[in-house]
Amino acid sequence: MTSQTLGIQQQVQSAAAPVVPPVASRAAGCELQVSGLVKRYAGVIAVDGVDLCIPPGKLLTLLGPSGCGKTTILQSIAGFVVPDEGDVRVDGSSVLPIPPERRETAMLFQHYALFPHMTVTDNVAFGLKMRRWAKRDIDRSVGEVLRMLRIEEYAHRFPGQLSGGQKQRVALARAIVTRPKVLLLDEPLGALDQNLREAMQVELRKLQQGLGITSLIVTHDQKEAIALSDYIAVMNRGRIEQIGSPLDIYDRPRNRFVAHFTGVENIVPATVLASAGNKSDVRVFDTVVHGVPGAPLAAGSAAEIAIRAEALDLAAEGAGVNGTVTFARVLGAYVMYEVLVGSHTLMVSAHRRDGAAFDAGANLKVRFHAEQCALLPAEVP
Amino acid sequence: MKRATPFLLVAPALLVLGLFAVSLVSFIGISFLRQDPGGASFGGPLTLDNYAKAIGSEYARHVALQTFMLAVKVTALAVVLGFPLAYVLARSPSRLVRNTILFGLVATFLSGGVTRAYAWMLILGNKGVVNSILASLGLSTLPLINNEFAVIVSVLNFSMPFFVLTLFGTLQAIPVSLEHAARNLGASRTRVFLEVTWPLALPGLVAASSLVFAIGLAAFLFPELLGGGKVHVSATSIYQKIQTDYDLPSAAALSVLFLALTAVVFTAFTLVQRGFARRAEKRLQAAPENLTQAQPA
Repeated sequence: MTSQTLGIQQQVQSAAAPVVPPVASRAAGCELQVSGLVKRYAGVIAVDGVDLCIPPGKLLTLLGPSGCGKTTILQSIAGFVVPDEGDVRVDGSSVLPIPPERRETAMLFQHYALFPHMTVTDNVAFGLKMRRWAKRDIDRSVGEVLRMLRIEEYAHRFPGQLSGGQKQRVALARAIVTRPKVLLLDEPLGALDQNLREAMQVELRKLQQGLGITSLIVTHDQKEAIALSDYIAVMNRGRIEQIGSPLDIYDRPRNRFVAHFTGVENIVPATVLASAGNKSDVRVFDTVVHGVPGAPLAAGSAAEIAIRAEALDLAAEGAGVNGTVTFARVLGAYVMYEVLVGSHTLMVSAHRRDGAAFDAGANLKVRFHAEQCALLPAEVP
Repeated sequence: MKRATPFLLVAPALLVLGLFAVSLVSFIGISFLRQDPGGASFGGPLTLDNYAKAIGSEYARHVALQTFMLAVKVTALAVVLGFPLAYVLARSPSRLVRNTILFGLVATFLSGGVTRAYAWMLILGNKGVVNSILASLGLSTLPLINNEFAVIVSVLNFSMPFFVLTLFGTLQAIPVSLEHAARNLGASRTRVFLEVTWPLALPGLVAASSLVFAIGLAAFLFPELLGGGKVHVSATSIYQKIQTDYDLPSAAALSVLFLALTAVVFTAFTLVQRGFARRAEKRLQAAPENLTQAQPA
C-alpha cells in the first residue's frame, strides 16, 4: 500500500505544498479504501484511476455531475460493477473476490428500492433473515432500529403507503440493521423536497456520527455535500479533481471545474504579479489584490481567480474598481447584485444589514476580500 | 348532428359485436335442434338430445380432458421456458442478446400459422431435419410427428411470443434496484429470485399464462396438421362433427359445452388476477391516520 493519506491527487500540476491539508487519517488507516480504480464501458472510460480512503467512522462525499463516474465507484464497492483495474478494500482486505451478497457494505439506493410487497418490518428484517438470524433476535433488532428512526408506528404498512421521508427512514433502517462496516448512499436525499431534505441532512449526519459508521455518499448537490461530509471528493469525467474537507473545497477550489461545480459565482481572468507560499498578489481588472490564496504560480503568468458573491463588497465611493449595477434581486437577508465591471458581470451578494441598497444603474466601487478568493491556474477553455 | 357523431364513430364496432352476438346466439339455438338423418338440413322440435349425447359420450369426455391437458402442458412449458427468456429480455445489458430474442419472437409472431405448421413438419417429420441428422449419425430415428409431442411443440412455439412479451412488460417494470437491494442485503441470486422477482412477477405471470392457456384450449391448426389424426382436441372434434359427420346441431352443442368449460377456467384465472390487484391496491391505500396527521419531517 503506497498511500495512507486521504486521497492521492492525480496529475495535478501543483508541485508545492498541497492545497489539501493532511487529514487526520494517516494513523487511523482506512476502513474503506479504493485504489487505482478503473472502469470502462464499451471502451468509454467511466472511472479513470480513482483513489479514496475513508478512515473509520468518517463520511466522504463523492460530488460531481451525472455521468462523472461516482455511481460506478459506489457500485464497484457494493459489487454490482466489476472494475477493470484497481482494488477495493474494506477493513484492509480486498472485497473484489466476494460476491455482493457477502460484502459488508450496505447500500441506500437512490429511490430507496424498498420491496413493495413487504411491510416495513419485513423490509427491515430482510437482511437479518438472509443471514439466518433467529426470529427472536430479528424481532428485537428490527424493533430497536425502527424505534431509533422513529418509524415504529409504520411497522405494518407497505412502502406504497408511506411518504417520501418515511420511505427514506425505512431504507436507512434496512441498511443499518445488519451493522455493516460501510454504508453507501446513492443520492440519498435526491428524491425529497427541499425542506425535508434539509431536515434529513441533519438527521442523517447525526445518525451516521452516532453510530460511527464509515460512509460514502454520492451526490451532485454541493450544499448537501458541504453540510454532511467530513471529506468531499469532487469528481469530473471519471477522475477526482480535488479532495479535502468541506471548507477546503468551498474556500479553496483548485481549478475552474471545482470552483464552478461548487457554485462559485465569479471566475475572472487575472495576472499573477508575485507568489509567496500559498498567497499571491494578482492584478484583476485595473486593481491589484494582495494575498489571494491558492497554489503559487510564476509571476507574470495568466491565471483566474474564483470569487464567491459574498467575497465582494460594494461601496458608493472609496477604493475599489468601478462598476455599474445592472440588476438587483432581493433574496431575503441578502441582495444579489449583478455588477458590470469592464466587460464582466460580477455577482455580488450583500447582506442587507451591512448598508446601503443600490438600484440598477448605480455607479459604485467593488472591493475584493482577498482571503475569500481562490487563485486558479489558467486553463485552455 | 354533433350529438350523433359519437354514435357514428362506435357504429362499426357495434356492428362487429352485433354480428358476433348473432352468430353466438344462432349456434346456441342450433344446438337445440336435430339433424335431419342423411340430409343436409336440421330442424325442430327443440331437444336436449345433442347435449345428452355429448355429455354421455366417452369420446367427448376424452377430448375435453385431452384439450385441457394440452393447454396445461403447453402453459407449464411456457412458464419454464418463457420465464428465463422474458427475464433475459428484460434484464440483459447486451443489446445484441435482447435484439436476437426479440427478433426471434417477433418473427414467430408475424409468420402465419400454416407456414409454421409446415415448418414444423419439415423439422419434425420422419425424414425431417432432426431425424435426418440422427440417421446420418447412425442413430435410430425418433417418432417426432403425428403425435402429441409435435402438437405441444408447435403450439408452444406459437404461444411463446404472447407469453414472453406479456411477462416481459411486468419484469421490466420491476426496478433492477430491488434485486440489487436484495443482494446487497445478503440474498443469493436464488433467494433474490424467490423473495423479490417471483412474487413481483406473479401477476404478470398469471396474465401471460392465461393467454397461453387460451391459445392451448383453442388450438386447431396444429393438432390438425401435426397430430396425425391422433390428437383429438375440442376444436378438431367440432370440425370433425361438421365435416365428417355433417351433424351441425351436435357440433353446436359440443361448442357450447367447450365454451362453458373455457368460461369456468377463465373465471378462475380472473379471480386469481383480481386477488393480486386487490392486494396491490391494499398496499397502496393510505392508512387512515395518514389522512389527518401531518407527516413528521
